[in-house]
Amino acid sequence: MSSLQDRVAAVPGAFSRALRRSREFVAETDPVALAVVGIMTVSLLGALVGFLLVSALTAVPFVVFLASAAYGWVFHQGLTARALTFAMTVSTILILLLIIVFIFAESVPMIRYESATVFGVSVPGLRMFIQPNWDAVSPPIRYSMVPMIHGTVMVTIIATMVAGPLGVAAALFLSEIAPPAVRETVKPGVEILAGIPSIVYGFIGFTLLGPWASDKFDILGQGTYLFVGIVVGMMALPTVVSVAEDALAAVPESMKSGSLAIGTTDWQTMTSITLPAAISGVSAAVLLGVGRAIGETMAATVMLRGVPRLTEPIYNVFYGQETLTSLIARNYGEADGLQMDALFVAGVILFVTVLAISIVSQYIEWRMRRKLGGEA
Amino acid sequence: MPQDEAGTGAGVSRRKFIAATGAVGAAGLAGCQSESSGDDTTETTTSGNNNQNTQTTTQSGSSEPEMLTAEGSSTVYPIANTGSSYWNSNPPNSDGEYWGSNDEGTVPGWEDLGSPDMRLADYFASLYGFEPTGQQATPPFMTSIGLSHSGTGCKSVWDGLVDIGNSSGPITAELGWSESQRDQRVVDHVVGRDGQPVVVSSDVYDAGVTELTGEEVRKIYQNEITNWSEVGGHDQEIYVIGRAEGSGTDTSFRLNMLGSADAPMPGVNTRFGQNQQVAQAVQQNEGAIAYMALAFTGPQVQPVAINFEGTVYKPDKDAEHTIFDSDYPLNRDLHQYTKITDDTPNGTDMREAAFINMFLTTFGQTVFVEGNNYIPLPTKDIESEKAKLPDQA
Repeated sequence: MSSLQDRVAAVPGAFSRALRRSREFVAETDPVALAVVGIMTVSLLGALVGFLLVSALTAVPFVVFLASAAYGWVFHQGLTARALTFAMTVSTILILLLIIVFIFAESVPMIRYESATVFGVSVPGLRMFIQPNWDAVSPPIRYSMVPMIHGTVMVTIIATMVAGPLGVAAALFLSEIAPPAVRETVKPGVEILAGIPSIVYGFIGFTLLGPWASDKFDILGQGTYLFVGIVVGMMALPTVVSVAEDALAAVPESMKSGSLAIGTTDWQTMTSITLPAAISGVSAAVLLGVGRAIGETMAATVMLRGVPRLTEPIYNVFYGQETLTSLIARNYGEADGLQMDALFVAGVILFVTVLAISIVSQYIEWRMRRKLGGEA
Repeated sequence: MPQDEAGTGAGVSRRKFIAATGAVGAAGLAGCQSESSGDDTTETTTSGNNNQNTQTTTQSGSSEPEMLTAEGSSTVYPIANTGSSYWNSNPPNSDGEYWGSNDEGTVPGWEDLGSPDMRLADYFASLYGFEPTGQQATPPFMTSIGLSHSGTGCKSVWDGLVDIGNSSGPITAELGWSESQRDQRVVDHVVGRDGQPVVVSSDVYDAGVTELTGEEVRKIYQNEITNWSEVGGHDQEIYVIGRAEGSGTDTSFRLNMLGSADAPMPGVNTRFGQNQQVAQAVQQNEGAIAYMALAFTGPQVQPVAINFEGTVYKPDKDAEHTIFDSDYPLNRDLHQYTKITDDTPNGTDMREAAFINMFLTTFGQTVFVEGNNYIPLPTKDIESEKAKLPDQA
């Protein structure tokens, strides 16, 4: 209880301290520079308001901002630079917030349409998740997200099964076993792989892997979650190798030396010391790869069938219907009305998922730093 | 016809648009006249050559043909506009790519035209009595195509604002006319058709499925027939390819083949947005059926004959009933309307005839109609359409 009281008491204290500090800052600074920064702030805020109101006069405050920034840059560079960098940071966050608000707002009609009644209570958006039918044209018109979530989960699991073991093994080899010369050449090479545009993978998948799989596995037509997963796994591989290698290399040399000194083999040191010590970083690497797999669009769109429905049985990986990303990519051109709102719902689901993954991997990274921080 | 509905809602802007188009047309015309008469003067003073040339100059100076204007449907627009672009550039017969023939290539249908020794617009205009100019980018008269809606195009030609009204629907439906009103007021020139032939992959075609009934196609797309052996083919599951859900192509197929615009399609295995993707998927998969633009068919992607209630529509331009016909349920006519006036009692003046006639040749059908992914007219329709034009000079 006392700590709470302390905290309550600390708030006005901190506030008055901040006030005092800003008063000192104002007293110490050239009033002309202060005026310039003040004009910059006011005009930039004015430009923002104009932008939000879609006013034709938005250009006026923005030009004032540019002019005052140019003046400040010439005569009071230090303070102007501080103000500018702060403004850039704020606008980055602001843009992100506006995007989030927009996709959520656009998905509202769909969430209203797909309400379902549970125990007499109408729950908005629930019907999108409790039945698997998608049909945007013929009645009953239903926009279920279940087939796309299923597709995304399937592709992600397969991609993780490809990128995880391969990536971690490659990272272990590069970090612990390979001679420095090999590491210096292979690691940049792996990172170059990350630069291949995804449509190239998708094109190979559509023209080569798809027909081949259709032929060999006796599948009706082309488009399988299995091969989309494998291709996406390949695409995520460079990220996994690169991040996992960094994590393994960050394990302090003293820990490994200590282990070797008590008579273990290299392999025993790797499996019982290096890997466990770096496990958080390695899992973060795999999670980053998973994030890439979930967000992968082009390859999935080109290779999948584009008919939202569950595969039968549900674990059947030889038929590939649609993922959340490919749904958006395939339909944005033709969709209107509710169908368009459904695409925004898919966007919201993707956004929330990727956000969760990113938070979890940040948390793991933070834990790792705390665990090994004293030594690194 | 969503675009037409949208057009009705914005009546004012449409009227404004017509006025604007008219004004632009007139301005263009004025510019064109002053420009060409200027050219003529320089030509006579600088090169002052033979008798025939001088005669041309005097003639065009006194009664230069007006610019030909057209506007209307966005569906007919690609055909008319490509034609107009070719016409206005008036390429020489040594071009090979756009007109005529050379070592590198020959335009389609060049032999049928009798390999004329003239530029493109010069040749087609001379068939209706216009003097050739012999110059690049200077056809005997210029052409201009505006883009609006089917209904606007029909109204503009009836109001006399343009020479040709482009429409993807019949003018009777667009303006609420009776058929006798139509016959008194305008002449209907069909230059091509919009539609999707049904295609199958080569293994299906080779196994003997060269004809399907409309009912069979419906059952295939609605999952009531799932194996080619049920319709006379080999034992192979049917790979059913559809088009992007809710797209124009998808909707018109549901409407014309499955009975209503919101008919369910539970049999569809894959959906693609583009003709190229459909063609590629039909090529590289066995047992495939799809519908797509005719321009993408080939030996690997075979159009099939369709039997609708006893009438067999064949993929052969010279057959009695063809998949290129107007009454083939997946097709609709693309019209160019011209107005009947006191000066032109049969409805089509020489400029209009010269321009429309260009589309009614193998060259025009291949380059302008098929080249824009539309369905070319079968032989018998080309003949009946040509019969509507005045006699050639």
